[in-house]
Amino acid sequence: MATVAYGMLGTTLDRMGARRWDRWRPTVGLCQQDDLLIDKLVLLHPARSKRLGHEVQQDIATVSPETSVELVELSFRNPWDFEEVYGKLYAFLQTQTFRPSRDDYLVHITTGTHVAQICWFLLTESRHIPARLVQTSPSNQKEDVAGRADVIDLDLSKYDALWRRFAKEREDALTFLKSGIATRNEAFNAQIEQIERVALSSKEPMLLMGPTGAGKSHLASRIYELKNTRHQTFGDFVEVNCATLRGDGAMSALFGHKKGAFTGASTDRAGLLKKADKGLLFLDEIGELGLDEQAMLLRALEDKRFLPLGADKEVDSDFQLIAGTNRDLSERVAEGGFRDDLLARIDVWTFRLPGLRDRIEDLEPNLVFELDRFEQRYRGRVTFNKSAKARYLSFATSPHATWAGNFRDLNKSVTRMATLAQGGRIDDEVVQGEIERLAQSWAKTTPLSDAQKFARDLLGDEAWADIDPFDQPQLAHAVFVCRQAKSLSEAGRTLFAVSRQKRRSTNDADRLRKYLARFGLSYSQIQEAS
Amino acid sequence: MIEIDGSRGEGGGQILRSALALSVLTGRPFRIEQIRARRKKPGLMRQHLTAVRAAARVSHAALSDVTVGSTVLSFAPQGVVAGHYEFAIGTAGSTSLVLQTVLWPLLAAAGESVLVLTGGTHNPMCPPVTFMEHALLPLLATMGADVTLSLERYGFFPAGGGRLVARIRGSTAWRPLELLTRRGDVSVRGGAQVAELSEKIAHREVRVLKDKLGLARDAVTVETVKSIGPGNIVQAFVQSEGLCEVFTACGERGLRAEQVAKRVVGQVRQYLASDAPVGPYLADQLLIPLALAGGGTFRCTEATPHLHSNAEVVEMFLPVRVQIDEGAGAAQVTVRGVS
Repeated sequence: MATVAYGMLGTTLDRMGARRWDRWRPTVGLCQQDDLLIDKLVLLHPARSKRLGHEVQQDIATVSPETSVELVELSFRNPWDFEEVYGKLYAFLQTQTFRPSRDDYLVHITTGTHVAQICWFLLTESRHIPARLVQTSPSNQKEDVAGRADVIDLDLSKYDALWRRFAKEREDALTFLKSGIATRNEAFNAQIEQIERVALSSKEPMLLMGPTGAGKSHLASRIYELKNTRHQTFGDFVEVNCATLRGDGAMSALFGHKKGAFTGASTDRAGLLKKADKGLLFLDEIGELGLDEQAMLLRALEDKRFLPLGADKEVDSDFQLIAGTNRDLSERVAEGGFRDDLLARIDVWTFRLPGLRDRIEDLEPNLVFELDRFEQRYRGRVTFNKSAKARYLSFATSPHATWAGNFRDLNKSVTRMATLAQGGRIDDEVVQGEIERLAQSWAKTTPLSDAQKFARDLLGDEAWADIDPFDQPQLAHAVFVCRQAKSLSEAGRTLFAVSRQKRRSTNDADRLRKYLARFGLSYSQIQEAS
Repeated sequence: MIEIDGSRGEGGGQILRSALALSVLTGRPFRIEQIRARRKKPGLMRQHLTAVRAAARVSHAALSDVTVGSTVLSFAPQGVVAGHYEFAIGTAGSTSLVLQTVLWPLLAAAGESVLVLTGGTHNPMCPPVTFMEHALLPLLATMGADVTLSLERYGFFPAGGGRLVARIRGSTAWRPLELLTRRGDVSVRGGAQVAELSEKIAHREVRVLKDKLGLARDAVTVETVKSIGPGNIVQAFVQSEGLCEVFTACGERGLRAEQVAKRVVGQVRQYLASDAPVGPYLADQLLIPLALAGGGTFRCTEATPHLHSNAEVVEMFLPVRVQIDEGAGAAQVTVRGVS
C-alpha cells in the first residue's frame, strides 16, 4: 500500500531563498514528518512557478528520499474564482486513476487560496477523490521547522461520538415525523424511515396515498417542519384541499390572477403556488383537481413557472409538491379524469399510508397521544380508569370497530370522552356511551350496496332506519335473492342451501316467508318492485 | 523465533536496532510486539522503518507487512551478504542509526562492504558521525575490527543531504576488551563547525569551551563546512591513553550559541568528575562488540536505561551474560560467554 498525496505548490509559503531552511514550508514539511511517509506527491503548480516547483522537488528529495514528486502544471486565471478552480481541479481528477483498495490517498489543503481549499474539501467530501485531508501547520517550537501534519478523515462514520449524535438526530427526526407517537407497526415504521430519507434528500414531488383520516395532511406538515429545521426550505407551508377548489375560482386560487382578469377580479391575487415559493405545497385530494388546473400544475412543476389568469407575463415559483389522495389515481386516469403525464410527474415517491384498522397495534399509542393533545389544548388532566381503558381498547381493536374515519375518528372519540369525563376521569359509563356512538356512526357511514339501496327503497327510509345495522345486510341479501329467483321456493333453497343439505329440511320457503314477514315484506311484493 | 516485548525497558528504537543487528548477524529470526508502546506516537516511525529496510536488504530478510505506525514486526534474515550498499535516509532518520544497525553483521560477513549513506550526519538525539569516527572506531580497531568512515558532506537538520561512506572489512576475529580505568594524561580539545551560517557563531561557541573548560587557544578550532543547508555543531574530544571520548551538541534555531556550547561543557565536566573511562553513549555502543568477542569488561560513568535494554536484547541472541554493577558515580559492565 503506497501513500499518494495531492497538493498545490504554495507560491508564497513554499518559496525558496537562502534562509528557506529556517522557515516552515508546508509542502516540504509534509514530507518531513516522522510518522507520515508519503511515497508519491503530485504537486500542482502554475506555469509561472515551474522553477519553484523543481526546487521544492529537489529539497524534498534530500529530506525525504522515499518520496517521488510528480510536478503537474495547472494554472488558474483567477485562483479566487470558485467556478474556475473547482472546474479545473475536477477535470484534473478525472485524468487520475484511483485504486483506493491498493493505495492510501491524501489531499494537502494547506497551500493554495481559501477557494482552492474549499474545492479540495468538496471534491474529497463527494469522493471525487477517495482521500483523507491532511493539514500541515508550523510547530510552536521554534527549532522544529518541519511543523506538524494532521490527517482529517471526512468519513463521519469513523468518529464514534459524532456517529452516535447523527444516529440520535435521525432517531429524533423519525420520532418527529411520527409526532412522538411510539408506533409499533413495523411496516409503518419502515415507511416513516423511508419518508425521512426522501424528505431530507429529495426535492422531487411526493405522493401520499391513503384513506381519509390516515394522517396525510398531518404528515405533510411534519415533513415541512422537519425540512425547515434542517434549513432545506425557506418558504411557507401552503395546504389546500383540491375538492374545495371546484369551479371557476380554482384557477385563480391556485395560480393567481391580475386585476380585471374576470368579473370580480378587483385586485391582483398571487395564488397558492406563488405563496409556496421556496416552500412546500400540499395539495390534498389531488384527484379532484380539474383537467385545466392539472395542465397548469404540470407546467408549473416542470418549468417552475406558470401564467396567472389575465397576466401576460409568467411568474416563477420554486416549490416542492406533496400530493395527497384517497383515490386510486390510475383509475382516475383510465376514467379520463386525471392526466397520465401529471400522474407520472408526481408519482416519484409514492407512499401508501395505512388506515388505523391496518395498524391496529398503533391504536393504543395514538390514544395516549390524543389524550396528551387534549390535555395540552384544554390544560386539564384527563385519564382513564383502568377497567374503562381496557373496555375501550377491547372494543376499539375488535373487528366491530371499522374506524372508517381512521385517526380523525380516534381524535373525535377521545375529544368526546375527555369532554364528558367527570373530574378528568374517563369511567366505564363514558366509555360505554362512546362505544355506542362509534358503532352508530360507522353503521351510518358504511356505504350501502346496491342491494341495500333496493331494500331501503322498498321499505322506505324510516322503516329501514328502524332496522339494526346488524340486520340490514342480511335483509338486503334476502331481498336480492328473491328478486333473482323464479319462485319463493327457489329463493328459499338458495338462501338455506347449507342447512338444507345437513338437515334435509324441506320447509325453506316457509322459513323465508316468515323472515320477510317480520319486516312486513312478501315475495310477490319484491317481484312487483323489481 | 525470538519474541521481544518492545515496550520493556527504555522502550524505544534502540531495542529494535539492536535486535535487527543481532538477528542479521546470528541468522536467528525474531518477532517484536508493542513497538514503542509507551511513546506519544507508538509504533514504527520513519527512521525505524529505514533501519528495518536496511537490515532486510543486507540479509535478504523476509519481513512482515510493516508501515509507519506498525507495532508488530516479524523479521527472518537469510544470512548477511557483504557488498556495496547505498541508503538514502532523509532527515527524519540519521546515517549513524542505520550504520549502527548494519555495521555489526557486515563486520562478520565474508568480504569487504562499502556503505554510502546520505541524510543527516549530525542530528540532535543521534550519535553524530564525529563520535562514531573518533570514539568508537579506534576501540573497535583494538578489538580487531577494521572500519573506516569518511564524512564527505555534513548533513544537518532539517535540510539533511550529508554523505557518509563507510568501508567495512568483513570476517572480523574479535578480541576481548578491558577498559576499567582512564589512564595516562587527559587532554581536552574542542571545535565548532558551521554551515551556511555566520562563523561568528562558532567563535562564540569555542570561547565558551575555552573559558569554561580552561582550554588553550590552540586546543580549539573553528570551521565552516560544506552542507546543503544551515547547521552548527559543537564538539569536545577528551583524550586519554588509548581512548578518546567525544561529546557534542547541535545548534538549534532559537538557541543561543553560548547555550549550545554549555551543553557540551556540562557533558565534559560530568565525564571528568568520574574516573570511569567510558561515557554513557559509548557504553551503549560497546555492548555488542564485547558480546561478539565473547567477553570483556568496562567501567562507565552511568548505566542508562538504554544500556539495560541493550543488555537484555544481547542476551536473547548471543550466548553471553551481561552483568551490570552500579556503584556511586560509575558502573561496571562485564560480558561473559556461557556454554
